[in-house]
Amino acid sequence: MEPARSRRDFLGLAGGGMGLLALHSLLAANALAADIQLGSNPMTPRAPHFPARAKSVIWLFMNGGPSHIDTWDYKPALIQANGKKLEGFDATTGFFDDAVGPLLQSPFEFKQHGQSGAWASSLFPNLSEHVDKMAFIKSFRTTSNNHSPALFMANTGDTRMGRPCVGSWVTYGLGTENQNLPAFVVMSDPLQRGLPKGHAANWSSGFLPGAFQGTWMRPRGAPIPNLKRLDVLTDEQQRLQIEFVNRLSAQQQMRHPAESELEARIKSFELAYRMQSEAAECFELAREPETIRELYGMNDDQCAHFARQCLTARRMVERGVRFVQIYSGGTANDRSWDGHSDIKANHTEFAGETDRPIAGLLTDLHQRGLLKDTLVVWGGEFGRLPVSQLSNGKPTGRDHNPHAGCYWMAGGGVKGGTSYGETDELGHKAAVDPVDIHDIHATMLHLLGIDHKALTYMHSGRRFRLTDVAGNVLHRIVA
Amino acid sequence: MAIDDSRARYCFAACLIFARVCSADIHTESMAQSLTLFKNQVRPLFIANCVKCHSGEQARSNFNLTTREGLLAGGNIGISVVPGHPKESRLLNYLGHREGPFMPPGQPPLSSEAVAQITKWIEFGAAYDQPLTDQTRKRATALQVTASDREYWAYKPLQRTFESSSIDGFVKARQNDKHLTPAPQASLLSLIRRLYFDVTGLPPGPQEIRAFLADDLQAAYGKLVDQLLTRPQFGERWARHWLDVARFAESHGFEHDSDRKTAFHYRDFVIRAFNQDMPYDQFVRWQLAGDELAPGDPLALAATGFLAAGVHATQITINEAERVRYDEMDDMLATTGSAMLATTVACARCHDHKYDPIPTRDYYRMLSAFTATVRSEVTLPSGSMMIASEGEHIKPIRLFISSETIPDLYKDTYFLNRGDTEQKAGVASLGFLQVLTRSSEQDRWHNASKDPRTSGRRAALSQWMTDTEAGAGQLLARVIVNRVWQHYFGRGIVSTTNDFGTQGDRPTHPELLDWLANELIRNGWHLKPIHKLILVSEAYKMGDSPSAENENCDPDNQFLWRRLPRRLEAEAIRDNALAVSGMLDTTMFGPGTLDEKMRRRSIYFTVKRSQLVPTMQMFDWPDTLTSQGERAVTTSPSQALVFMNDPQFRRMAEAFARRIENNEDRIGSAYWIAYGRPPSERERTLAQAFVKQQTVTDFCAALMSGNEFIYIE
Repeated sequence: MEPARSRRDFLGLAGGGMGLLALHSLLAANALAADIQLGSNPMTPRAPHFPARAKSVIWLFMNGGPSHIDTWDYKPALIQANGKKLEGFDATTGFFDDAVGPLLQSPFEFKQHGQSGAWASSLFPNLSEHVDKMAFIKSFRTTSNNHSPALFMANTGDTRMGRPCVGSWVTYGLGTENQNLPAFVVMSDPLQRGLPKGHAANWSSGFLPGAFQGTWMRPRGAPIPNLKRLDVLTDEQQRLQIEFVNRLSAQQQMRHPAESELEARIKSFELAYRMQSEAAECFELAREPETIRELYGMNDDQCAHFARQCLTARRMVERGVRFVQIYSGGTANDRSWDGHSDIKANHTEFAGETDRPIAGLLTDLHQRGLLKDTLVVWGGEFGRLPVSQLSNGKPTGRDHNPHAGCYWMAGGGVKGGTSYGETDELGHKAAVDPVDIHDIHATMLHLLGIDHKALTYMHSGRRFRLTDVAGNVLHRIVA
Repeated sequence: MAIDDSRARYCFAACLIFARVCSADIHTESMAQSLTLFKNQVRPLFIANCVKCHSGEQARSNFNLTTREGLLAGGNIGISVVPGHPKESRLLNYLGHREGPFMPPGQPPLSSEAVAQITKWIEFGAAYDQPLTDQTRKRATALQVTASDREYWAYKPLQRTFESSSIDGFVKARQNDKHLTPAPQASLLSLIRRLYFDVTGLPPGPQEIRAFLADDLQAAYGKLVDQLLTRPQFGERWARHWLDVARFAESHGFEHDSDRKTAFHYRDFVIRAFNQDMPYDQFVRWQLAGDELAPGDPLALAATGFLAAGVHATQITINEAERVRYDEMDDMLATTGSAMLATTVACARCHDHKYDPIPTRDYYRMLSAFTATVRSEVTLPSGSMMIASEGEHIKPIRLFISSETIPDLYKDTYFLNRGDTEQKAGVASLGFLQVLTRSSEQDRWHNASKDPRTSGRRAALSQWMTDTEAGAGQLLARVIVNRVWQHYFGRGIVSTTNDFGTQGDRPTHPELLDWLANELIRNGWHLKPIHKLILVSEAYKMGDSPSAENENCDPDNQFLWRRLPRRLEAEAIRDNALAVSGMLDTTMFGPGTLDEKMRRRSIYFTVKRSQLVPTMQMFDWPDTLTSQGERAVTTSPSQALVFMNDPQFRRMAEAFARRIENNEDRIGSAYWIAYGRPPSERERTLAQAFVKQQTVTDFCAALMSGNEFIYIE
C-alpha cells in the first residue's frame, strides 16, 4: 500500500469536483499544486506544467567548493589589495578561524573570451572557448560554511540531511523517457578519492518514494548491480525463464484482476531483460569513434576518468536519461576542489581533470543538436574566500566562503553569453542580485517545464517542495 | 445515497485542506519575499538612516522601528506603515520628501530605488527577521489552545460506550451503512500463509500446514494464532515495524557517518519487549526515560536507544554548534511526537503549528525535556551499550572534528523566535502539549525519576505521555492500536499513521479505533491480546472476490469488503527466500553486519545510514532520517534484476533445488515449500515442460521470482 495513496486519491477526487474549480481561479499561483499521481510505474513519462526548454540535466558538481575568484569571477581590485588585511573580516566565516591570512590575488591570469567578452581564468583553456554558450551566475551564496550541510543545501535545498534532492524531484515530476535505463544517475570520483561528504544523502529521494533515489554508478566493476546475466544461463534460457516466471505470476493475477501492481511487476521483468542489454550498451564507450574519444580527452591520463564520465553522460541523455550528476573530486580537502592549503596547485589539478572533458561534452552535445534539450550546470557547494588561508604560515590557500560563489548553466533554454549578479569588488560577498540555491533550483525546474511552486509532495502534515518557501526563477538568463 | 454523500464530504474536506494549504503558502511566500528584501535592502537602509534616532526608550516621536511591533505601532504622529498597503503607508512619503516631516531630517530624500525597495517590502508584508538593534523582544501573542481544539477526534477522550463489542460488529456496521457485501473467507491455505507472514514474517513449512489441516478446524485456527504469537520470530517481525517509526540506524549520519557499534542493543530491546509482551505504556516510558525510571535494568537502558538513534553532525563549526544542538533535540522531540502520538510537533519549531493546536511555546517547553540528554556508551557486565542519558556521571560520545571547542550541550533550552538561536526569548521550563493535558497540577508528573543524578525531565515526560487520565495516554493508545491494525490490513484505521492531526486522514472506523484503544488499556497495555482480537476476526480472515458494485461504492476498500494481495516488505522478501532455501540461520540478537551473504533474518543487517544494504533499499527500506509510518511499495526493473541476476539469490535457488532433489514429486513439493499449496493441473503441466528444458535450480529460481512469492493474498 502506498503511504499517501488515499490522500492522493482524495485530492484527485477533489480535483474533479466543482469547488476546486473556483479555488483554482482564485489561487492561480498555486493552481497546479497537487501531489503527482503515481501509477504502478512511477517512472512513466509525465507532461510538464508548461512546455519544457530542456529534457535532461547534466550537473557537473565541482565538489569541495570551487573558488569563484580563481575561475570565472575576475576581481582586478584583488590584485591591488594583495597582501593587505581585510578589515572587519569575521574570522569564523570559513572553517579555520585560526589560519586567516591576508588578501590573496588569484594566481591565475584572466582573459576575456568570445563575443560576450566573458572573463575566464587560465585554468580553463578549453572551456573558455564556450563562454558564449554559458550564463554565469556570479552572486551565488549559501547558508553553511561547512561541506556536508552546504552539499545538502546545494542538492536538496536544506542543510539538514533527509530532504529529496533535485534529481529525485525532477524524476518525481517528469518520470523518464527511457524505461530501460535508470532515470537519475550519479557518478562519483573513480580514482578512489572517496565520495562527497554526506555520501548517498546527496542523491537521496528523502521522503519521496524510493524509486526516485539516484542510481549511483559504481566507479569500478559493473556500474549497475545485477545488470549482467548469470554465466550459468544463456540468453535464450534466460528468456524462457522470464516467460515462465510471468506465466506463473499470471496465475495469481487471474485471481485478482484489478490489481495493477501485480501486472506492473510482471512487466518489470520484461523491462529488466531489456535493461540488461540497453544499459550495458550505453556504457560501452568503445563504440564511440576515436575522434569523439579524443575530443573528450580520453587519451589524456590526467582527465581520462572524467572524460569517460562526461561521455557516458552524453550517451545517457541521448537515450533519454532525465538527470545525470557527476562529481569532480572525492571527499573534501586535497582530494577535491577544497583548496585549503594551496589554491594554485589544487585548482590546477582539478581544473586540469575537467576542463577538456566538459568542453568536449559541450562541443559534442552542440554538434549533435542535443545541447538545446540538455541543461548543463556547473557549480559546487560554495565559493572560496578572497583572504588567504595560512598553510605552514604561508598565504597560499583559501577557506570556504558561504557568502559568494559561481555557477554557470548552458544549453536547455539558457541564454548564452550572459551573466547574472555580482560580488563585491574583492569577491567576498554576493553584492548585486544575490542568488540562493533555491533560485538556481527554481530555474532548473523552470527550464524543465516545471513550476517550482506547484511540484509538491505531502509529508509530515504539510506539502513540501524543492524550494520550500523560497525560490525565484532567474528569468534574465532564460532565452 | 450513501455513496454520493461520502464523496461529497471528502470533496468538501479536500477543498478545505487545499484552501488552507494554498493560502498559507501564499502568505509564507510573500512574507519570505518581504524578508529577503528586509535582509538585503531594507535593514541596511534603516540602520544607515533611521535607527540613530528611532530606537530605544528615548526614540524620537516615540517611534521605535527597531522591531516590527514598534514600526507598526507608529509614534506621536500616528501609524505610518500598513503591511500590504504601501499607499496607506505614510512613511514612504516622509522618506521621499513628498510629505513632512521629511526624513532623514536635514538630508536629501532617499533615492527613488531605495523608496521603491521599501515600498515593495511593505507590500509583501513588512517582515523582520530580527530586531535592528539588540534588545529583548517580547513574544508575539501566542496561539491559544481552546476547548474546541480539545474536541478534535484525536485529542478528545476515548469513547466509553459502544454499539458493538467485537471488531466484526464495527466493521459490519460500516459495511451496512455503505451497502457493501463483504467477500467470503479466504481459503484455509491462503489464510495460514497470510497468518504466518503477518505474525512472524516467515512462511509456514509444509509440515506445519499439514498439521494445521489435520487438526479440528474450528479450534485449530485460534490455537495456531496463540502459538504463533509466542514464537520468537514474532518479535523479530514486529520490532522491524517499530524500528521504522523510531528512525533506527546504527551510524551517526552526516559526513563521516561513523558507526555506532553498540546501538544494536536498542533493536534487541524492541524484539525482546514485543516477545515478552511488555505493556506498551512501559515500552514507551522506557524509551523516553529508561535510564531515569529503572537505572539498574540493562533492558531499560537499552530502550533509551530510541532517543539516541537520530543523526548526529560530527563536523561542525562553532557558528553552527548551538543550532546543531537544537536540531538534535528537535530530532528527539519530532520522533517522539510522530512515533508515539502521531502528532507533527516539530511543525511548531519556527511558528505556532499552522494546522494543529500546538503553540511554539508548547514545542519549546516539551523540547526542554531533552536539554541535558546526550548519547553515551555505558559499560555493563554484558558489554558496552549506546544509550541516551544525562547527568555529570554520563560521558557524551564526542566525535566533533573541529578546530574549536564545541560544547556537547547547553545548560538551558530557550524559546526561540523563528527557530533562530540568535533570537532567544527566555528560558523554556518543562511542559507538555496543552491540548492533551487535562490537569493543572504542575507537578503531577514530576518526581518519577529514580536516579537523583538526572534532571527527571524525561521521566516526567514519560509519565505525562502514558497518563490516561490527565496526559496523552488516550491518544497514545489510539496511535499504537492503529499501527497494529495497519500491519494486518495494509492500511491503518487512520491511514496516515504518523499524523492524526488535521492534515492527516480521518479514521474510517472511529468507534472501532476507540474500542481497540480501550481494550488495550483495559488489558494493562498488553498488545498481544489486541493482535489476537484482530487475527481471529472475520475481517482479518476475509478473502478476495471482485465485485463491481462494491468497487463503485468503495474503490479503495476503505470499509474492508475484500482482501487484496500485499507485497512483502524488503526484509520479509529476503527472509522468505532464505527460509524456502533452507539456508535461514535463526540466531537471534547481537551485532549485525553489512554483508549481504548473511544468512540470519534481515532485521540483523546493520543499518548504516550512508551504506544502506542495496537490496533492502531497492525494496523501499525507510530512509532512517525521520520517523516513517508507512513504507512505499515501488516496482522497478532493478528489483527484477535481483531475482534474475543476483548471485546471492541464485545460491538460495540452488539450495532450494537441493531440498527437493530427491523427492518423488519435485514439482509438488516445490510448490508446497514456496507457495504453501499444491500446484494446479495447469501449473504442473507448465512446470513439467519447463524442467524438461531447464534445470531444477532454474525452476526453483522461477518459483521464487513469481509474484505469488512476494505478494501475499
